[in-house]
Amino acid sequence: MPLPAYIKKDYKRTRTLHGNWYLMNYKYKFNLSRTKVFLKGLKEGHILGLKCRSCNTVSFPPRLICGRCLVMPDQWVRLPETGTIATGSASYDTNDKNRERPLPVIAVRQDGADTVWLHNMPKDIDFHSIYIGMPVKAVWAKERTGSWFDIDHYDAIEDPAIELNKKEQEK
Amino acid sequence: MAHKVQPAIISCGFCEHASKRSDVNMAELVNEAVEDCIKKANIDWKDIDAVINGNMPAFEGANMPELWMGDHMAAKNKPMLRVTTGGTTGGSVTIAGYYSVASGLYDMVLAIGFEQQSCGDTTVGLASVGLGEFTIFSDLGYTIERMRSNMGGGAAIGIASYQAMNYMRRSRATEEDLARVVVQNRRNAAKNWWTHLKMPSITIEDVLDTPYISYPLRFGMVCPASDGACAMLITTEEKAKQIADIPVYINGVASYSNESAILGIDCAGAGQVDPCEQLGAMKSAEVAYGQAGISFPNKEIDYAEVYSPFPNQELMWVERVGLFEENKAPEAYQNGVTALNGELPVNCSGGVNSTNAIGASAMERPAEAALQIMGKAGNQVPKTVHTALGHGWGGSINLITHVVMSDEPQRKWR
Amino acid sequence: MEKVGIVGYYQLKPELDIMMSPYEAIFTAVRGALDSAGLKRKDITTVVTCTNDYYDGKTISNCFKVEAGGAYMKDETKVELDGAHAAAYGLYRILSGNHKLAMIYGFSTPSCYFYEPVRILELDPTFDRTMSVINPYTTGGMQMRAYMKAFGVNEEDIAKVAVQNYKNCSKNSLALPEAKKPDISVQDVLDSEILSSPLRRLMYPIPCDGATAMILAPERQSLKITDNPVWITGMGQCQETYYLGDRDLSISVSMEKAAEKAYKRAGINDPKSEIDVAEIFGHTSCEELILAEAAHLSEKGKGAILLDSGPALNPSGGAMSAFTPCASGLTRLVEAAKQLRGEADGYQISGAKKAIASGQVGFCAQNNIVFVLEGGG
Repeated sequence: MPLPAYIKKDYKRTRTLHGNWYLMNYKYKFNLSRTKVFLKGLKEGHILGLKCRSCNTVSFPPRLICGRCLVMPDQWVRLPETGTIATGSASYDTNDKNRERPLPVIAVRQDGADTVWLHNMPKDIDFHSIYIGMPVKAVWAKERTGSWFDIDHYDAIEDPAIELNKKEQEK
Repeated sequence: MAHKVQPAIISCGFCEHASKRSDVNMAELVNEAVEDCIKKANIDWKDIDAVINGNMPAFEGANMPELWMGDHMAAKNKPMLRVTTGGTTGGSVTIAGYYSVASGLYDMVLAIGFEQQSCGDTTVGLASVGLGEFTIFSDLGYTIERMRSNMGGGAAIGIASYQAMNYMRRSRATEEDLARVVVQNRRNAAKNWWTHLKMPSITIEDVLDTPYISYPLRFGMVCPASDGACAMLITTEEKAKQIADIPVYINGVASYSNESAILGIDCAGAGQVDPCEQLGAMKSAEVAYGQAGISFPNKEIDYAEVYSPFPNQELMWVERVGLFEENKAPEAYQNGVTALNGELPVNCSGGVNSTNAIGASAMERPAEAALQIMGKAGNQVPKTVHTALGHGWGGSINLITHVVMSDEPQRKWR
Repeated sequence: MEKVGIVGYYQLKPELDIMMSPYEAIFTAVRGALDSAGLKRKDITTVVTCTNDYYDGKTISNCFKVEAGGAYMKDETKVELDGAHAAAYGLYRILSGNHKLAMIYGFSTPSCYFYEPVRILELDPTFDRTMSVINPYTTGGMQMRAYMKAFGVNEEDIAKVAVQNYKNCSKNSLALPEAKKPDISVQDVLDSEILSSPLRRLMYPIPCDGATAMILAPERQSLKITDNPVWITGMGQCQETYYLGDRDLSISVSMEKAAEKAYKRAGINDPKSEIDVAEIFGHTSCEELILAEAAHLSEKGKGAILLDSGPALNPSGGAMSAFTPCASGLTRLVEAAKQLRGEADGYQISGAKKAIASGQVGFCAQNNIVFVLEGGG
């Protein structure tokens, strides 16, 4: 279909000026009240979830606000070290020259929690062996400093329902 | 309280989309679409009562550009509203146009969505969706390298690849199924005058030959970044009947938002455990169909435009909005149900997969659907279209817009 | 236009550097508004957010605010102008009959960015931005000079407006603590630092952190929710042309058109005598006068008489009390509603029946919006 006549096509009419707006500086504030407890828990080897008293949703890592009830949850619960893979991907990041094989990135749902967080599996694992619903276990870092990566990575553990899951995969 | 005003679309205008429209600046780009829209409707710009506009401001480095572009939008000395909701901006602008007319305050509203992505850096713009969260993450011991790989290289593809994994697991869709969607979209785009990526002879093998960006999405499956604009005139039922041959009545609108996926607020856990579950889309569809009086969307909808920058999403959305049964979409694409001459054509404009001027994309969906009903689309389907759907998603796959339109006004108000 | 009721509101106490995360601030405002009306989250049907990507430092600034704003599984949208514009969109949504209860909130934290430099990004990128001449200070100065020249007004008259605002702020418990100056004199204002001649530091409000939320409902629902609703009876909006050279800065064409439309919808013929309270959002003290005159509250060039007679101009302290980008216009609406409800503790105008509230965006108030409010009691 030809262009309507009043749409002009003249690629030499204007020039381009370069400006810079990414240099604008910003500050970001965030609430530490829940995160502090969560990180302190990791340092001491506890996995702590935050439970909303009105809808019983457990968030891990803790969420400041429960969107369903519009309240600030304040009840801490201990969670086990195991979890399941909710979803995952492999990042073929071209900027990283040192990486020979892609780093598996997974979203883990800690057992007993209703939210997911992003974490990694070790590099040497074959990405195609990962499946959704696969049970994993947190592996602690050698030195715990009270940071997000006190859990260094997640490792696969024996899946009691492996046969069923495999069948589901191949169907 | 039933509302008394029935909004209707009478005209849609586009500008030519390309990866770099360096011949025009943003204002002129918008003006092309506005001029196209007003000329097709055969009205004077003074007849317009109010203007609604929107884009994604971070991509051009211009905050509230409608202030200096107002005169190019036919908005001098007129009410002007700016609605921006990320990817759904265009859909939100359409919905704002609907509400402006439905409120009874304005008779003729011009809705505009635009984006000139060549002005800025889209990846930086998209990465800054979570910039605040990333800053906080780095405070918690996240290294830049680890963050980049975990967020899938930064842009929207990060979330889309997780979504694709879940969808493929649920529906057993293969990479060929994804490539088939791309081929259909790019071939359709070749027949539409304003689209960006026109590939009339692309094949499934061509798509599968390209390298991975983030498993399972390949370079050839990803939408381009385009410059473009779309404009739409929305008016009352009475005026529409005088002006247009076939007015397109907007019968249902909804934009229900879910919790964010993958990344939670204040670097906490994300509420959407399964990013392809899409409760927000299902709820929006339910509400919009309810308003339009549609009980069986898979039978009553004749044409659908869904917002799918990535092919897995097109398969997912057509299921979630009720056009196909769950996990049956790949089969329907294989059988040609969604092709131009199929039973339920989807994305005959080429879709977002072929043209993505982000602020305009979600508006081009209802606009193209309206043109199909009017019979004026660039790639017109052979059958007569009575009821059509325009859909959009944005944010952290948590914002949805739904516009259901028909050639007959909704008579029975709730 | 049908009446739409304001049934609840909450204003977070503004601070220069608020110790709250964005989500917490929004949560507090939204929760407060719901509690003030005795409602629950499930009663909300639609949420209109007002934030700005450039003021938040992130793209799609409403994307992560869904939970905090009470918008989970609700019809949510965002207006990227002033809070008053978001209120207008909420009004459309209510008037259409599709929604029964609209939550509107505006939020920004200028402590996290530099407000004046970020506003440069609103300029035309080709000429005005590269020249680096136009900024909020110089436009304020040019506007003030034009006003003084056109109507023969002197600096003292404009300083008096600032003095009155600071005095009003001291009575308002929700005003910015730094703006509470009960003992300020005209000379103090005229002696303050020059921003852009003749604009002085004390004629320009301090950007501060804050959040404001408001709940709108249709007439029938409003009467069920509260015995004392405030009605929005008229609304008018207008955007004028951008280039400062094309505009007469001593008057405001857009405000005039917006106000006329709002008065027409509300059935007000003589605003001077019918309006009791005017909450005008002006970026400078001078702009406040220009906008009040354009809203037909006084003769052109005689805005200063509003300080002594006629409708009460900004009894809350106006923009000086809480100048939060994205929320200022909404705060003006809330302050006007407080006056009509008789809840303005310490600065109540007795017998207030009708009020106007305005919001704006752009340099020299390019895009104006006016609401006409009536008391229900």
